[in-house]
Amino acid sequence: MTRVAVSGIGVVSPLGDTLDEVYANALAGRSGVHRLEAPFSHRLVAPLGATARFDGAAHFEPPKLRMLDRVSQFALVCAQRALDGAADPLSGLDRARAGVFVGTGMAGTLTSDDGYQTLYSDASDRIKPYTVLMGMHNAPAGWIGIEHGLRGPNLTYSTACSSSAVAIGEAWRRVASGELDLALAGGSEAPLSFGSLKAWEALHTLAAIDPAEPSASCKPFSRNRSGMVLGEGAAMLVLEPWERAIARGALPLGEVIGYGLATDATHITRPSVEGQAAALQAALASACLEAAAVDAINAHGTGTQANDPVETAAIKAVFGARAHAIPVSATKAVHGHLLGAAGALECVLALLAMQHGVALPTMHLAVPDPACDLDCVANVARHGLDIGTMLSSSFAFGGTNAVLALRRAG
Amino acid sequence: MTTLERLRAILVRDYKLAPEALAPEAPLESLGIDSLGVAELLFNVEDEFGITLPPEPVQLPTIGDVVAYIDGLVIAQRGAPASAEPAAESVSRPS
Repeated sequence: MTRVAVSGIGVVSPLGDTLDEVYANALAGRSGVHRLEAPFSHRLVAPLGATARFDGAAHFEPPKLRMLDRVSQFALVCAQRALDGAADPLSGLDRARAGVFVGTGMAGTLTSDDGYQTLYSDASDRIKPYTVLMGMHNAPAGWIGIEHGLRGPNLTYSTACSSSAVAIGEAWRRVASGELDLALAGGSEAPLSFGSLKAWEALHTLAAIDPAEPSASCKPFSRNRSGMVLGEGAAMLVLEPWERAIARGALPLGEVIGYGLATDATHITRPSVEGQAAALQAALASACLEAAAVDAINAHGTGTQANDPVETAAIKAVFGARAHAIPVSATKAVHGHLLGAAGALECVLALLAMQHGVALPTMHLAVPDPACDLDCVANVARHGLDIGTMLSSSFAFGGTNAVLALRRAG
Repeated sequence: MTTLERLRAILVRDYKLAPEALAPEAPLESLGIDSLGVAELLFNVEDEFGITLPPEPVQLPTIGDVVAYIDGLVIAQRGAPASAEPAAESVSRPS
């Protein structure tokens, strides 16, 4: 197996657009969740969102912009940033041996919503000619491939909230096996359309607004948790053989060392301890790790009633008595749930946490839940840790559980 | 205003294109507007010129081709050259 470096990272997120900014906000527990100011907010039970400060017009010429849903805009900008940070990784590359792997759950939902508005609400037949091309799930990956001339596999994964962890894992497999010399892998999501928000609302999984502090509405592992907050953004990683990155003078930000995938096969929404534990075990096996070698975990930690106790039980099932000694961070409290991009953003946060020797805080955890009695790093970051190996978990409606095993650079 | 000037105004407003680049012989593809982009552009042309586009697809590679297409439809549907018409009021949503 080839050692796989993460040699570049690009981010657009509710926590910021640079790695320094994202890390600083996650470290300080500054939340990107806020009251959602939108024309339809008055029709939402709890108008909350975690938005990215992103204006596509700053990145694309108007004719191109009209062809790109926000989800593709995020992906293209992140891919460019990841390449920019990787010390010219396309130089000397056989682009037939370079692939694109993108996860997205809702893809072009903003475009779909706009089309429905035109057809049903405005009773007009002038649906945009680009609607199919903007809305299709593989648009973000397709555009990245076109932009950079990457002619290897161009794949899109849609496994709900584990989509981008799957994308990174599947890309890792191909680089680790020697099939590819480079992969751009990650996820993108722009789910804050009226239709999407109402659909999620109807599912009764969204958080109620914290009356005292709306930005604290998502409370993973807390007894008074009420659900998740939808967020938008993207994260893309450059994955390549470690030796190739080093030979070029790149400074790897970490390594992907394994990937576990297991499916609940029990219920379309209800998570299972067995499925999540199987994915954790599979990640350990893939990375040839003993459970004792795991120093910290970035949890799926949605803040929903259903997930958090099940995830707690799954971690206990895998790590036994040591489960309570492992710092478990649920960063969705501050960046919201980016759905298909969540796994990629959380993978990035795990790499940054290892780099800085820090366990990132699980914010808004004021009321502990006996059913979630792990070391959740409540509310305050923990510094001065020697974290060499982390797992980043992403679980999903549909039951596709994915766990990435990551190692600190060096 | 001539048809060309009115079309240029749409292209400058919606596509932020430089007016000097909008010569009649300019290929729309080179301005970043492909055939689907032209189809979208024609929604605004319908409003601007008060015409109804036929459902048949049409190939309009250059700005001059679009101008000729508009002029033909205006004469057919309104009985007078486009440049003689006052600008129609737009009733569509902003694109």
